[in-house]
Amino acid sequence: MIQIGSFLFLAILILLGASIVIFAKNPVHNAIGLVLTLISLAVLYLTMSATFIAMVQILVYAGAVMTLFLFVIMMIGVDKEEERRESIKVQSFLVVGLVFLLFGLLTYVSLVSGFKWDLLFPQAEYAVIGSPESIASLLFTEWVLPFESVSILLIVATAGAISLAYGKNRNLG
Amino acid sequence: MEELLLLALLLLPLGTAVFINLIGKYLKVNQIAQISSLGLAGAFSISLLLFFLLGLNNFESLSFNYFTWIDAMNVSVGLRWDGLTGVMALLITLLSFIIQLFSVSYMEKDERVATYFVYFNFFVFSMLLLVLSSNFLILFIGWELVGLSSYLLISFWYKKDSASSAGKKAFILNRIGDAGFLIGLMIIFNIFDSFDYDFIFSNTNLLNSNQASLIAFFLMIGAFGKSAQLPLFSWLPDAMEGPTPASALIHAATMVTAGVFMLVRVSPILTKAPNVLFLIAIIGTITAFFASFVAMTQFDIKKILAYSTIAQLGYMFLAVGSGAYVAAIFHLLTHAFFKALLFLGAGAVIHAMDHEQDIRNMGGLIKKMPTTAYTMLIGTLALSGIPPLAGFWSKDEILGSAFVAGGFYLPLWLIGLITAVMTAFYMGRYWILIFLGEERTEQASSAEEVPKLMRVPLVSLAFGSIFVGFVNTPLFHGVEKTLKEVLYNIDVIHPPTGLNFILLASISVLAGLVGLFLSNIIFIQKIKDPFKELQDFPLLPKKIRIILGNIFNEERKIFVLINSALLFVKKLSFNALYLDVYGRKVFVDGSKSLSKFVAVSIDQLLIDGLINNLANSSMYIAKKVRTLQSGYLRTYISVFGIMSILLIAFIVLSIGRF
Amino acid sequence: MDMQIPTDWYLTLAAILFFLGSLGIMIRRNVLIMFMCIELMLNAVNLTFVAASRHFGSFDGQVAVLFILVVAASEVVVGLAIIVSIFSKRSSASVDDLSLSKG
Repeated sequence: MIQIGSFLFLAILILLGASIVIFAKNPVHNAIGLVLTLISLAVLYLTMSATFIAMVQILVYAGAVMTLFLFVIMMIGVDKEEERRESIKVQSFLVVGLVFLLFGLLTYVSLVSGFKWDLLFPQAEYAVIGSPESIASLLFTEWVLPFESVSILLIVATAGAISLAYGKNRNLG
Repeated sequence: MEELLLLALLLLPLGTAVFINLIGKYLKVNQIAQISSLGLAGAFSISLLLFFLLGLNNFESLSFNYFTWIDAMNVSVGLRWDGLTGVMALLITLLSFIIQLFSVSYMEKDERVATYFVYFNFFVFSMLLLVLSSNFLILFIGWELVGLSSYLLISFWYKKDSASSAGKKAFILNRIGDAGFLIGLMIIFNIFDSFDYDFIFSNTNLLNSNQASLIAFFLMIGAFGKSAQLPLFSWLPDAMEGPTPASALIHAATMVTAGVFMLVRVSPILTKAPNVLFLIAIIGTITAFFASFVAMTQFDIKKILAYSTIAQLGYMFLAVGSGAYVAAIFHLLTHAFFKALLFLGAGAVIHAMDHEQDIRNMGGLIKKMPTTAYTMLIGTLALSGIPPLAGFWSKDEILGSAFVAGGFYLPLWLIGLITAVMTAFYMGRYWILIFLGEERTEQASSAEEVPKLMRVPLVSLAFGSIFVGFVNTPLFHGVEKTLKEVLYNIDVIHPPTGLNFILLASISVLAGLVGLFLSNIIFIQKIKDPFKELQDFPLLPKKIRIILGNIFNEERKIFVLINSALLFVKKLSFNALYLDVYGRKVFVDGSKSLSKFVAVSIDQLLIDGLINNLANSSMYIAKKVRTLQSGYLRTYISVFGIMSILLIAFIVLSIGRF
Repeated sequence: MDMQIPTDWYLTLAAILFFLGSLGIMIRRNVLIMFMCIELMLNAVNLTFVAASRHFGSFDGQVAVLFILVVAASEVVVGLAIIVSIFSKRSSASVDDLSLSKG
């Protein structure tokens, strides 16, 4: 009972945050909505026993990434308002079309399958706790190559960001 | 040995032509003339020698194959020497030698004289190739080459527009005949599987009448194209644009007779096709009549001779059509002599008159150019068929053969007779207007006799015209003996002998004399109004004179009508029955408008339009499609989303296993 | 924490989140907001992975989440650097101004 209740509560929070992201006018409100979504997601991970991931999510996503976002919003977008009217002519049609298509597809799939979504694969019997040790045991043995590549990726990203931000303004020598 | 001699005979003129072509620019006219004369004299001597050898051998034909050309069709390059080729070769070489002497003097001031001699010798080579061939394919090659030489020589002064179009006209009309010839050749090959004369003519029993008629018909078309019969005649009068000696050789004596030669060659086939033979005779006769009719009112000194040539060729075809092959070749022989003589004489007159060609502007030249005048008189009389000159024997043999052939050939005999009257008339008029009377212009007064190099050929040809007729009199039959082997012992129509002969002969002579008489009274005595003259004619009794005079005075209208009718006829004659004009309108202008129509409506509108529209529409579509690239990121994303959903839907629907 | 909640609920939630993110990209013109919607979509995917990991009882899903997290972070870094360099000199942050590639 309590799991269902917590799940529903968290789900509502997530969707609320997402709606704020989409529909808010002020960019800062958007950022706050995103933070709400991220933290609710992290709590949801906790309910799923993925503890490590939850913490990492809060640290990295809700912490670092959102701070970056807020920085840039302050630099660029904070006092700029958008027009409400859509400037591209066909855009509304495309959006409506997409929505309809998606809903149609989903409804069709649900109807055809009779809402039995996970009968293809049986569920595991008991929950696994996603502790750092368990993840590390996988990360450094089976997934070590992607791990290393990702570290290179990070370095490249950093270098790229620096050159992009500084490159025009100053001579780096 | 004869093998080599034949080859030498053929290649000597060719060698001369090539030699002059290569070195001609470095030589003087005299030297070129000497080389050319040597070459042609050599050719004549070789043919004389060969003829002699042949005579010793009782005119048995020889034929040699030099090498195989097309193995699959059994065609080899081979030459043949028999009575027919002997006669033709002698004629060609002798005449070309004589005419070439004349050309030296006539063309010496021309700047392209070396080229002229090259073409001249090349023509002799091609004509010899045609005559000496031993199979149809080589004959055809010679045929085409002769057409080519004719074209080259007609349009020799190519800078003149009329000369080059005349050359083109000659070649094109010739080509039309050649198309018929080719079809005939194809039929021959289809039936016999070979082109060789010996093979074909000894196996003519394989042909039924229909096949023979078909072959004969198409070969006839070829002959008519080359020999300028109706309807392919109009190139010959225009061909007079070329130098006069060339006209003498090609368009009087040799090339145009190739058609007759070819038909006599295939006589074994022709005898199996009596209908076609009759057709040949009819067309020949009608052409002769028509050409003589036209010649009576022409004014150009060479055009009269051109139409005369057409008419005489018509006579030769009448002979072929009546089955009198010997008579045809005989007339070919004699005609060559006196027509060449007349042409060279005309050339002499033109030369003396500073290139004036209208006979209305001449007159009284007999005092200034006696040699020319008297030799041309001999030519005129020979052509009119006055005995004992050459023309009488050959023309009479033709008319006699037509008479003997009987039946449907009798009307043709009659028309031939009337044509003989017309022939004598226009030739008499020709000679009288040029040489007798008073000088009508300044130039005529200042004309003087031509140099010796021109006179000698004239005299020699005059001798020929007198004596060459004696080779085939009813007493000697020289030509017939020569041709016996050639004709493969088919039945030849002979002219009558004895009393019939004398009767027929007298009738033809009478015809000639009547023609000459008429031209005499009209042009010498200048009798304009015959009926008035008749009133004063002393020989008629007085009563008849008065009656005639009354008729004349009272029924004036009739005479006015007759006069205007005569004028109309005169106009028809002068314009060659407007055949040339209509032919040009129908064929030339017709094809021009047809090609214009095709070019504009089909090519421009349809094809160009199709391609252009294709290009335009693709550009239009591209312009419209280009607007899809709006450059807006969000549009791209949305489309991307839609497409990916559609893709997933497709996959889901095709799996359908949920 | 036992397993009373069926996996498909999580998947549904992730799907709705993803859909909302894509909707946001198509609607909004401000480039920063579009970026945040991208983050939403990535998070939806993360949720899917974690749910799958829970369903199958293995940790591969969570390792994948880790990687996605890293990639998302670096992507944000570079993307924002680009946005800064383009849009700092402009007056509006609308992405519709970047339509130079129009044909």
